[in-house]
Amino acid sequence: MCGIAGIARSEPSGVEADSLACMAAALRHRGPDGYGFFAGARVGLAHVRLSIIDLQRGAQPLGNEDGRLLIVYNGEVYNYRELRPTLERLGHLFGSDSDTEVLVHAYEEWGPAMLDRLNGQFAFAIYDRRNESLFLARDRFGVRPLFYTKRGGTLYFASEVKALFATGEVDAAPDYTGLDEVFTLWAARPPRTVFQGIAALEPGCWALWQNGALHVQRYYELHYPEARDEPPDALDRLDDLMRTGVDLRLRADVPVGGYLSGGLDSSITCVLGAAASPYALRTFSVTFDDPRFDESAYQRAVAGQLHSQHAVQPIGGEAVARVFPDVIWHTETPLVRTAPAPMYLLSRLTREGGIKVVLTGEGADELFLGYDLFKETVVREFCLRQPASRVRPRLFDRLYPYLALGRRGEFWQRFFLEAGALDDPLFSHLPRIRLTSRIKDFYASAMRQALAAWDAEAALRDSLPPAFPRWSRLNRAAYLEMVTLLGPYLLSSQGDRMALAHGVEGRFPFLDHRLFEFAAALPARSKLRGLREKDVLRRWAASILPPVVRDRSKQPYRAPDTPAFFAPGRPDYIGELLRPASLRDTGVFDPEPVGGLVRRCQAGLAAGARESQALVAVLSTQLWHQQFFRARRRITPLPLEGADVLLSDEASGVTDGTMRMEMTR
Amino acid sequence: MSEILERTRTYVRDNFLYMRPDFLLGDDDPLLAKGVIDSMGVLELLSFLETEFGVSVPDEEVTVANLGSLSAIARFVAAKVLRTEAA
Repeated sequence: MCGIAGIARSEPSGVEADSLACMAAALRHRGPDGYGFFAGARVGLAHVRLSIIDLQRGAQPLGNEDGRLLIVYNGEVYNYRELRPTLERLGHLFGSDSDTEVLVHAYEEWGPAMLDRLNGQFAFAIYDRRNESLFLARDRFGVRPLFYTKRGGTLYFASEVKALFATGEVDAAPDYTGLDEVFTLWAARPPRTVFQGIAALEPGCWALWQNGALHVQRYYELHYPEARDEPPDALDRLDDLMRTGVDLRLRADVPVGGYLSGGLDSSITCVLGAAASPYALRTFSVTFDDPRFDESAYQRAVAGQLHSQHAVQPIGGEAVARVFPDVIWHTETPLVRTAPAPMYLLSRLTREGGIKVVLTGEGADELFLGYDLFKETVVREFCLRQPASRVRPRLFDRLYPYLALGRRGEFWQRFFLEAGALDDPLFSHLPRIRLTSRIKDFYASAMRQALAAWDAEAALRDSLPPAFPRWSRLNRAAYLEMVTLLGPYLLSSQGDRMALAHGVEGRFPFLDHRLFEFAAALPARSKLRGLREKDVLRRWAASILPPVVRDRSKQPYRAPDTPAFFAPGRPDYIGELLRPASLRDTGVFDPEPVGGLVRRCQAGLAAGARESQALVAVLSTQLWHQQFFRARRRITPLPLEGADVLLSDEASGVTDGTMRMEMTR
Repeated sequence: MSEILERTRTYVRDNFLYMRPDFLLGDDDPLLAKGVIDSMGVLELLSFLETEFGVSVPDEEVTVANLGSLSAIARFVAAKVLRTEAA
């Protein structure tokens, strides 16, 4: 995996190589294996490389035959071997075995329509030097990030926001509506970010910059053409999609490992990966000191079946508190959960173990209705159809059997039953939204004033696609989960950013778009049968998984929250950032109620989700503000003389029909 | 009963409404529907009632009728205290 960045000016006033070197330095963790630049009169491109495919010849920026097109690219297009013969037949000449070069020629041949042919996870930029345009694109589900901002007549883009600031030409200011979305939905919803004027290119979209104007277009929509009955060949098709999806994601010139949570999904990807990989699969897990979060018995069962070399990262509260500042530096956004922190430590363990590509099980819960939220939606709907029933609400107790005493019974049921009306488009998500929104009780008055009439729930309702009302309630829930949580939070804060913090690339077999389209067309009962989640996946996996894993119910991935920050010997930053003066300086949360929250946390009283989320929100906002506004980390530009590729308009000239690269190393 | 009501009101304000100083909580306002107490809060509230007033509350009595508002809590606890004293 890699990092990309660039600058496109509307006038040919020149892009300084030093600016690009600063952008690349800010992204160096994403690509520690090499870097390269193109510094032209109008456009500059930067690339940091994590070399995975064609280790010798895959350096970037990379051009086509005549140097007209230049690409910087982050990600993988898994079907590049299948696309290449078609392009060769059409007359394209290849100088490497990399998937990067396939993209350049595909764009040359098909333009933006190339995206429909790609199976992968990617964000890239292609500069067309003949018509002075810059083409940006992002994969269908948002596995790889791409941010941009327009300042004056100039477009800046990068894999991470910190690279935009590193130019010294982009100033940082909070976007209060973006922050409010974090404290409503767990993450800002693309294109909005938590930084004013900085946009995330939406998943499934491309953008074209030409003559100082940016045109953004969607090329992939989520559809749910639900069938009445499960096709008779559903299990065969699922088998083919799962196996080919994993096979494609093993394509690499380095060994591919596997993240193993011990749940159904990562167990499947590890079992298939072990069967198809030319290497002995190595597996990596987090274990928790707290038995409520720990799944190590299941991890051992799968690792034992695979005979994998299994490595474990133990997580206690102290570790979460210690790495939390670095976690926020990489997520670039406040959080409401600490769950990314263990993933940050896991990627470090993985990288130290010599593995830089891992398969993960992300996406299965969204495709096959694995989350409790989906069951909750069904039960709430069932209860609200007969509001007088005293029997129906007892289903809630069955829904959350792992919760402690006191979270069962009437009080617990009433919370769900009173969370929202059946005709609300956000019905499925209202319990989570309402609970998360309690963070806003702690807002400073300045924050309330900045938000004025803004309403994050209303903005989400207004953004829903025209087909949304025609989908079943469960498919609406699945869609909302994809666009509010999977892309902006799970794949970003918990996925890409934590893995790439240590130069590890995650690969997601469940997010093969062919598998998504297969799952979206299945009847709901194939996925959620009664209250049994991921039914079709379980039926298919019955023969490949240990029974102990196959038959277990979903356990949400959680990490220690509140107690992590109040244990003896906690890091000094916590007390510093929770001081009233520090809170006032940030201006998002009111020091007085936060003081009450801190006292309750110190007394061990803040055990519920409401206060736990508030504490994580306050602390992460303080860390975010400190690191991006008050005392931004100093960036030392990467030395130009160390670049694998250093191109300029002259050095990559189109005049003689061949592109010359100045290879400096 | 008014003393039970006052002590419970103070407890609820200090522990569940400290972040909402302007929140007006009437004696009959529903604690759950108004978002004052969540499911974990019920556990805390029970612990407070048991230590503060020396009553014991089994699971089957954890209902909205008994604990749904400040006045319901005061009635419920007062009746329990009376029964305890009578015994």
